[in-house]
Amino acid sequence: MQSGRAFAPATGVVFDSAFGQRPDDALALALLFGFEGLNEARLLSVSIGSGDLQAAQACDAIAHFYHLPVPGGQGGTGHGGFTIGLLTTGASRANPAMLSAALLKTDADGKPVYTRTLETVHDTADPLPQMRNALNAQPDQNVIVVETGPATNLARLLALPAAKDMIARKVKYLVIAAGSYPNGAADAFIRADIPAARKLFAEWPTPIVAAGTELGAAFRYPASSIEKDFAWAPSHPVADAYRAWQAMPYDAPAGALAAALYAVKPAENYFALSPEGAIEALPDGRTRFSAAASGKHRYLLLDEARKAAAIETIARVASMKPVPPAPRFPRPAEDQDQKKAAPG
Amino acid sequence: MTVTRKSIERRAFLRGIGTAMALPLLDAMTPAFGKTPEEPLRLAFFYVPNGMDMRNWNPSYEGKFQELPSIMKPLEPMKDDILQLSNLTHAAGNAWLDGGGDHGRACGSYLTGVHVRKSTTDIHSGVSIDQLVARKIGAATRFPSLELGIEDARQTGSCDSGYSCVYTNNMAWKSPTQSLPPILEPRSVFERLFGDGASMTPEERTQEDLLRRSILDYVSADLAKIRSSVGPSDKRKLDEYASSIREIELQIERAEAGNAHVDPEMEVPYGIPPVFADHFKLMTDMVTVAFQADLTRVVTFLITREGTPRAYREIDVPEGHHQVSHHRNQVALMDKVARINTYHVEQFSRWIQKLKSIKENGSNILDNSMIVYGAGLADGNAHVHEDLPTIVAGRGRGFIKPGRRVVYQKETPMSNLWVTLMDRMGLPIEQFGDSTGALPGLDLA
Repeated sequence: MQSGRAFAPATGVVFDSAFGQRPDDALALALLFGFEGLNEARLLSVSIGSGDLQAAQACDAIAHFYHLPVPGGQGGTGHGGFTIGLLTTGASRANPAMLSAALLKTDADGKPVYTRTLETVHDTADPLPQMRNALNAQPDQNVIVVETGPATNLARLLALPAAKDMIARKVKYLVIAAGSYPNGAADAFIRADIPAARKLFAEWPTPIVAAGTELGAAFRYPASSIEKDFAWAPSHPVADAYRAWQAMPYDAPAGALAAALYAVKPAENYFALSPEGAIEALPDGRTRFSAAASGKHRYLLLDEARKAAAIETIARVASMKPVPPAPRFPRPAEDQDQKKAAPG
Repeated sequence: MTVTRKSIERRAFLRGIGTAMALPLLDAMTPAFGKTPEEPLRLAFFYVPNGMDMRNWNPSYEGKFQELPSIMKPLEPMKDDILQLSNLTHAAGNAWLDGGGDHGRACGSYLTGVHVRKSTTDIHSGVSIDQLVARKIGAATRFPSLELGIEDARQTGSCDSGYSCVYTNNMAWKSPTQSLPPILEPRSVFERLFGDGASMTPEERTQEDLLRRSILDYVSADLAKIRSSVGPSDKRKLDEYASSIREIELQIERAEAGNAHVDPEMEVPYGIPPVFADHFKLMTDMVTVAFQADLTRVVTFLITREGTPRAYREIDVPEGHHQVSHHRNQVALMDKVARINTYHVEQFSRWIQKLKSIKENGSNILDNSMIVYGAGLADGNAHVHEDLPTIVAGRGRGFIKPGRRVVYQKETPMSNLWVTLMDRMGLPIEQFGDSTGALPGLDLA
């Protein structure tokens, strides 16, 4: 229920991914934490759409690195109560080097280099209620959903009773890094769960903006930035993850980064937008865009004139030194008074 | 009352002036030939307020119970009969932009799974699971459900930051706008269970001469007749049952007589034992006989209202429960919370031990029950609605495999447990509150 309070928290972001299956996954997560540090976004939930505990542990390690405890905040995990959602079914396709050799690596004494508290599946959240609960707690039209993996978790969310109405009320738009536009080869993340992708494009009630594989191939993150911008930390999980993906130097396709950047900064015009239309996931895993004046779907187009600015913003924000986040919901004065007058 | 050569009717009542005393399940109620009827399956919910000292609630392990944490220690003799569930969440108890009022939301959402409306006048919750089950199976028993409590059933005014007392002081909701207040007075419960509900006016019921007579006096002739017609095992059951009823009557009389001598600082209504343990025992003794005689199969029991300021001088906690629950991580206060939590668990353990001692066709009442003991808050200091303390006692007539702790993923809805329990009670339902499906793991050894 909306209380009609005057304060407006920064836009919330629900981030669902197949973490460890893209070279820019860790960078995309770091970018969102960076925007949170700037108070330009709030990461509401981070979840993984494949049954990969190591991927959840890796996200937890990054969360610990960026997400310092909220001053005076609650939560038992040591970083503001942040819990990683994990789908417990499905096979892992993550790059093992990126996870175990980098984010989960240990020192000479066998201790994790990057602090994490997530050890077992019981330390993860069920992504379905996690995403639903995160949305319920937000002001209307103040959430952006970023999907950079299979549509499994979002399709499950859509299937919950009354979920479509709730999504329509809470979510401004969905940005999805999957598919190929306007037409192209089948994308691995669509193929990973074709029924879910078909349901998502057919039934998701808000506008959808897609960052296709063709964009990612043209929009690459420079290896030089990894060596330069992240050098402030003797050990940086994002830099380690990037280096572990494949032999350096390489410029990684950055579709997930493009999706995360557009999600938080749509008005900066870092990318151009296609006309409105409808995206359909085909039974063979390909996607098809059909232009239509009243369509709710668009896809990102690379704007060469803005590409350098986009890379610069990503590098600057993703490599920021962690700052303690602001309290998620500054409590109005009258609530504090009411708290004091609680029963008893 | 009807006695046949083959069997005594399951629904036999012994009637006297103003009384209708149901009988416990006897062997003689089972037909000599033919299919033995199933024992009734009971569902009960016991709610504790102000959260739990979670340091001493959750074991450090999953699976078969080993060493129990201190708050659960009183359940040691029952650890093969209880199932502990961890990480169940009532997200609807969170603020969702509604500000303070976690106590109101915690209790209001507990059996409904919905985010209750913040108001003292415009009340809106949801139908609670007990009432859905009562609608489904309630016609089989004299009372579709029983709603009981220990203190303060005020239904008006604000009890928590703008939330009506109707949210903190009730568990059962017949409709989103109609709560079913718990009965607090033992005498009222007793008369509900054993009165005939029609032949006496309230004024007549309060006549001192009637109050001082046992209902057993009114039905003694019929009871003796049945006793003479049944076997030794049934004789023993009848004697134990009659003793239980007489013991309840004596407890009520003691409470009514003793009210003149209670601590003058305590506001104790007439007939309510001033000491928590005495009140709890008396009320649960009546639940026992209600289960024994199959008077109802659905019970909600509010072990003091949510947010209660009740002090527990008898265990050396003179401060209010709510006050110490906001411990600000001070160990001395946290220890007092643990003391209250343990005290509650002691009483509960004693009661389920009693249920286990009452045999039913080769099993016992506890085996044929699903009794949830839990709280709508975890840490009461931070008003946490996740990892809600939850125990299910009993085997649900073979459905539940107890003796262990099951840990779920975080944010697993408590409503999923309700969906599963409803299904077991014969009410398959696709969605309840904020459920996302059934809860696995209750029936795995």
